[in-house]
Amino acid sequence: MLPWIVVSTGLFFVSAQVPVYPETEDSTETVYTNENIQEDNLISRYSDRVMVRFDKSPLFITILYVVILYSIVTLITLLIIILLNRGRMQREQKLKEYLKEEYQQKLMDYLFEKDKLDQAFLDLERIASNKFNRQILIDQMIDLSINLKGEIKEVINKLYLLLGLMKDSLEKAYSRKWHENVKGFRELAFMGIREANERIIESLNSNNEILRMEAQIAMVSLSDDNPYHFLHLMEKPLAIWEQITLHELLIQHNLKVPAFKQWFESENISVLIFALEMASWFKQKGAGSAIIRLFEHENDEVRRTAYKVCGEIRLKSSLPAMKKIYEGESDKNKLEILNAFARIPEERHLNFLKSVLDMEEDVQLQILATKAMENTDEPGISMLIKLMKSKSEYKNYQIIIRHVLDGRIY
Amino acid sequence: MSGLFDILKFFVLHAVFIITALIFSVYLILTVFSAISLRKYLRKNSYVDYNSIVSSPLAPTLSVIAPAFNESRTILDNIRTLLSLYYNNYEVIVVNDGSSDDSLEKMIETYELEKVNYYFDYRLPCKRIRGVYKSQNRSFKKLTVIDKVNGGKADSLNAGLNVSKNELVVSIDADSIMEPDALLKLVKPFTEAKDKKVIGAGGVIRIANSCEISGGHIKKVHLPKKFLPRAQVMEYTRAFLMGRMAWSELDGLLLISGALGMFNREIVIQSGGYRTDTVGEDMELVVRMRRYMVDNNMSYDVVYIPDPLCWTEVPSTLKVLARQRSRWTRGTLETLIIHRKLLFNRKYGKLGMLGYPYWLMFEYLAPIIEFLGILWFIFLVISGKLNWPFFLLLFGFVYFFAVSLSIWSVLFEEVTFHKYEKRRDVFRLIGTAFLEPIFYHPLVMLMSIKGNIDKLFKRNTWGRMERKGFDKS
Repeated sequence: MLPWIVVSTGLFFVSAQVPVYPETEDSTETVYTNENIQEDNLISRYSDRVMVRFDKSPLFITILYVVILYSIVTLITLLIIILLNRGRMQREQKLKEYLKEEYQQKLMDYLFEKDKLDQAFLDLERIASNKFNRQILIDQMIDLSINLKGEIKEVINKLYLLLGLMKDSLEKAYSRKWHENVKGFRELAFMGIREANERIIESLNSNNEILRMEAQIAMVSLSDDNPYHFLHLMEKPLAIWEQITLHELLIQHNLKVPAFKQWFESENISVLIFALEMASWFKQKGAGSAIIRLFEHENDEVRRTAYKVCGEIRLKSSLPAMKKIYEGESDKNKLEILNAFARIPEERHLNFLKSVLDMEEDVQLQILATKAMENTDEPGISMLIKLMKSKSEYKNYQIIIRHVLDGRIY
Repeated sequence: MSGLFDILKFFVLHAVFIITALIFSVYLILTVFSAISLRKYLRKNSYVDYNSIVSSPLAPTLSVIAPAFNESRTILDNIRTLLSLYYNNYEVIVVNDGSSDDSLEKMIETYELEKVNYYFDYRLPCKRIRGVYKSQNRSFKKLTVIDKVNGGKADSLNAGLNVSKNELVVSIDADSIMEPDALLKLVKPFTEAKDKKVIGAGGVIRIANSCEISGGHIKKVHLPKKFLPRAQVMEYTRAFLMGRMAWSELDGLLLISGALGMFNREIVIQSGGYRTDTVGEDMELVVRMRRYMVDNNMSYDVVYIPDPLCWTEVPSTLKVLARQRSRWTRGTLETLIIHRKLLFNRKYGKLGMLGYPYWLMFEYLAPIIEFLGILWFIFLVISGKLNWPFFLLLFGFVYFFAVSLSIWSVLFEEVTFHKYEKRRDVFRLIGTAFLEPIFYHPLVMLMSIKGNIDKLFKRNTWGRMERKGFDKS
């Protein structure tokens, strides 16, 4: 839409039909008139007519011509690029597919056909003479070993070293380009090579989040006893996305689960919260008292996560402490406290929950308090039924209790 | 007196030249920024494994809110698509906005719905909610249907926000088709945020006319056969891959399309939810949320994702297109008026100094200036005062520049998402780029003028979309 403004504004310009600059007496430039227009050819006639109208404004006309020319050249160039790009992409795709298939066959021969082993090695060595091919070979090795374990995986690792592919991975890990580093870290981590650990550790605090995350993943894979040791070194906040990836790694690779309470005193709040979440996921009840101590943490989110975790790991001993601090908490944190009460139903807290239901105006807090009462079974439910029957002008208990008791609302 | 006239002429002529140079420069700058931004995005995301978020307990909880008004023909397919998105912690809230057809009955029957005793707070104003329905069948436990008195799209979204309890909300048109991984891609920026709170994220909306659709999913992408929707493909490609991408890089994004957007629920509610007195509720909400964050000294981000996340049917007749464009113009004008305080207001940073002035000058005023220019052109032709050679020169200048911009966007599409696999489709898209400035753009400009006239005479209706249904377009 935008360039069309130019047409309109240009048309205002057209309407002027006068010289752009007032003529000066000592002007030596040619003044174009209808009489001296050369009618020798169409182009010059056209240009000259334009000059007549705009008198001493040839610069402007030149600019218009230049932009038109620039646009046409750009247009043609882009069209050529689009066409060539299509062809290139298709060719590259075909080549990659062909090479992948071929390399995979060679790798299979090397791994499983003893009589073809030597020939396969020679073929692979020949393939590895070209950088482009080497990259496809590394990718294939990684793809193949994802589904393999034990001895065969070790054979692939050995082959990777024998073919000198480690050099490529190290080059990438030390490259100045972050996307090369990412590739290098991945390959080294996959092949269990620790030569670039120093570089990987450096990248743990990189400003580039992808690189940082890849460094974390590599550190987890390259560590033997404490895969999350690097969390002690983290200075930058750990984003939820990174936490999700680290958690996924732990599950997928069946890694040794550390005692997450070792990070409960971390100054890096996001690391602390991640540790709390993981303590909950792996039901580390041994961390109970350390979690309760976090109820006094100055950070709102840390306290909220601590309440949530107590509920999730059913830490009964945390309820009295939560009851005490409930009043002074924010609504968001109160929600987690009530959630914990709903998860750990105890009859002795019914009066507290009833007082919450009476006192709170927020719908969610009321629903959760009622839910926590309902979860205590008989005593709580009979208390709720009594409340439903009572006619309180102060609060419509019926509508809240009906919602909670409606089993169709999951 | 004549001296004064000369000065005036001198000023007008130079002002025109300066404006022209400014416009072209702005476009070139936006192209450069979008190229940088696209490259950065693609490179970063080529290393991302979205699957890790699918079932992670750490992933944020989402509510997908789909308002529906007389969508009986497509509602069941659309719900099926929404229920099969790749994500774990999410619910689907369909808001039946007082439909006069059998949408509700169909949903009740197919999904075994029952009215439940749902207790919620009208934190955001909306028309009376007649009932909340949940399925008896556990397989559909993600689904909630709200039946309410008709109040429009914004009102329905507010109703959905009142019922939703999740951290993030996704607003979607019930007749749009989401890509299965759309939620994963939209949620990612919210999980990456550290210093800044991400308050909203939007993605590319693609055109589904002529595409092969089965079971609520896009099976094969084709360029629309008709010229009108094809011209809109060109327009959308340019707007989404160039304009919005660049504005996102410049932190001046004012609009997340109503067809698909993800928002932080609490911030939406604290900002007051969707306004029901404007037809541009999507743009107005984003601007208001941004203002809210600045007014409360909170650092924030509005993120744009260049991935194609959602497919929608665009008007294939002039009548429906005119209604849509009139609404867009009125919506833009209303938002600009409501938030006029932003104009060149330093307090709002890039939003006030760049984003708002751009929308005012180039998105809203452009068709008006253009229309005046055309009137002037007609006057000059009739009075025989038009300098034809210069007109043609100027026309060529604008035409080729406009086409080259469109071809840039085709290139961006080709090297990034490459959705049109057939070579023929790309050729036709390129052909459309050449035809669009002459046969399509003037129509859109006139429709925008009609929008201004409608606004002036307070004809402030939403206007029906009258979709043909994906299978028939």
